[in-house]
Amino acid sequence: MSNSGDYGVALAPDDIDALARSARDGDRDALETLLAELRPRVLNICRGVLPYSGDAEDACQEAMLNVATKIGSWGGRGRFTTWLHVVSVNSARTTYRRLKNLATPTDFEDGAHDRPDPRTTSVIAGTRLDLLEAMDTIERDHPQFVEPLLLRDVYGLPYDEIAALVGAPLGTVKAQIHHGRKLARPLLRGER
Amino acid sequence: MTRSPRLLSVAAVLLLAGCSYGAEAPDELASPTASTSPDAEQTVAPTSAAPVTDEVEQDLDLALSTPVEDSVYPDVGDPRVDALLYDLDLTWDPLGRRLTASAVVTFRATRTAPRFQLDLAPGLTVGDLRLDGESVGFARRGTNLLVRAPVEADTRYELTLDYAGTPRPAPAPTTRNDFSTTGFTITDTGEVWTMQEPYGAYTWYPVNDQPSDKALYDITVRAPAPWTGISNGRLTGLDTRDDTTTTSWQLTEPASSYLVTLAIGDYTHSSNTTADGLRVDYWTPRGMVLGLDRVQSAAASIDWIESKLGPYPFDSLGLVVTASQSAMETQTMLTLGNNEYVLSPQVIAHELVHQWYGDQVSPADWRDVWLNEGMTMLVQWIYQDEHDLQPLSDSVAAGRADDQGLRDQYGPPGAYDPRQFGGSNIYTSPALMWNELRVAVGDDEFFRIARSWLDAHDGTSVTREQIFDHWESETGRELSAFFDRWITGPTTPRRGITKG
Repeated sequence: MSNSGDYGVALAPDDIDALARSARDGDRDALETLLAELRPRVLNICRGVLPYSGDAEDACQEAMLNVATKIGSWGGRGRFTTWLHVVSVNSARTTYRRLKNLATPTDFEDGAHDRPDPRTTSVIAGTRLDLLEAMDTIERDHPQFVEPLLLRDVYGLPYDEIAALVGAPLGTVKAQIHHGRKLARPLLRGER
Repeated sequence: MTRSPRLLSVAAVLLLAGCSYGAEAPDELASPTASTSPDAEQTVAPTSAAPVTDEVEQDLDLALSTPVEDSVYPDVGDPRVDALLYDLDLTWDPLGRRLTASAVVTFRATRTAPRFQLDLAPGLTVGDLRLDGESVGFARRGTNLLVRAPVEADTRYELTLDYAGTPRPAPAPTTRNDFSTTGFTITDTGEVWTMQEPYGAYTWYPVNDQPSDKALYDITVRAPAPWTGISNGRLTGLDTRDDTTTTSWQLTEPASSYLVTLAIGDYTHSSNTTADGLRVDYWTPRGMVLGLDRVQSAAASIDWIESKLGPYPFDSLGLVVTASQSAMETQTMLTLGNNEYVLSPQVIAHELVHQWYGDQVSPADWRDVWLNEGMTMLVQWIYQDEHDLQPLSDSVAAGRADDQGLRDQYGPPGAYDPRQFGGSNIYTSPALMWNELRVAVGDDEFFRIARSWLDAHDGTSVTREQIFDHWESETGRELSAFFDRWITGPTTPRRGITKG
């Protein structure tokens, strides 16, 4: 197996939570240590969404900045790493939207190809363009479905953790995920 | 990764440190094909039909093993079973996320026993189960499939069963950041990939899931067209009808279960050739462009590795790119994730080196996984040195700087914390050890002995005691204290080969 690129002492989940609490309460050293520690993890999350390293690193950079500036909003309800997941995936989505807006559409001006073809930008290639597009589509009418769906189907978090994280009852979260999946499925399969 | 000095401000950390991990990977990597002489034979054919070869009769005697109970993960595997051939027929429904399968496991009972067991995930429902054609009783105990039928020592049997369900990956005993589960993994659009070290094959087939029991494989995969199922060995059948692609794969040299792979998705095939004429097959997701040239560096890397370790040990080679974040040396068919790090030429070279150190000769027990990673890491360092990626002296210096922390955190490489499988201690520390021997005896002698070890143990699973004996007899040196300090000692040994 490939070496993981881990060359030092990793922190246990409890240590990360303790460090995050200190950072949230204004300890600057704790914040620096926390950011250095979490960077590979955040990059991995971003790579799961954006396949090409340059994009993922942009998103990672944005996520690190968001963690540094918004850590005060972490409620301490669950693991810090769970909150970190949400911040990271949202940063990746923001980065993706920005990249998409920067790109000049030249070839496909008839509008027939306004969505990347999932067959040529396969999820298995690590490319989640179709997924991101699907989430953007769903978000227009059902913004509340997006986060639970990503947390469940991309990050595999258990339902109860998602419920705690988004602050909604378990039944509501399950229903949101169920409806979100129904909406996402045709978008992912290119059958619109 | 590099540690950020604590004096830097938050902003400086963000700006300076960047987000790359794997500190040894430079931003721009020279492709190995570019730095060796360009050879017409190494030109990659455009997307091509995959060559199909005839199925052959498997020679079961090749797969005779001496299975042991694992000292690190004793709950997996059964030393009463010596599997010889797994004949699997797998049908994958990506929409229903359902695997429908049948398996014929040909095995030798290693001792006379009233019952025996294989590993199979509890989420898979077992239907008809027969031993040599007779229906027999069975029970499920966690991941154990307990077969209630007596077996006699050194007798061969055929266990036949049908099973179905949605496979789920198994929790991995590790805190690595590139994987947390092993085995059958389903993407959110229904593609499948597997990585199953140190165990996890049991998430998709009934198996003696321990590395001392090598076996042969005949695997047939049915997937909705145009998707294709990929596995180990040679492609012996490729057929599309009724919207289903059926592929058959045959692995005719025995493999440990952690070296078996299955990937199902929308794949295209391309190939190139090594200097010795070995065709290298590339199975990449349709439309994948970026990184393709790096994946196809494998043929040139084989040429380079052969100059160190001798001829490629198997008769087929392929690479399949999946949605993983890691890379795995699955036998004759590397399983690669999809990010810049794992698709870099030096990581692909690492997995290729494992075809010699890890696959041709495998550890019999997970306590000796360092046998795979130590030599492979050193050869990767030398590869990086000879391809102008990173000088060997830098790799060694960085390794020495890390060694003590790795021993403190994960334990010595040969006595690691079972919850920390695959920590960098099993890579860095033994790589440093082998480098000391390389310096002591010189490159030519070092690689002569490294090759003779493979020749002497071709196709088997081995222990540390065997490799220690080999190096002592080949060098004529007394090395037991040297090996002990490096492999089970609590502190980083001094440089050189000191006596006593």
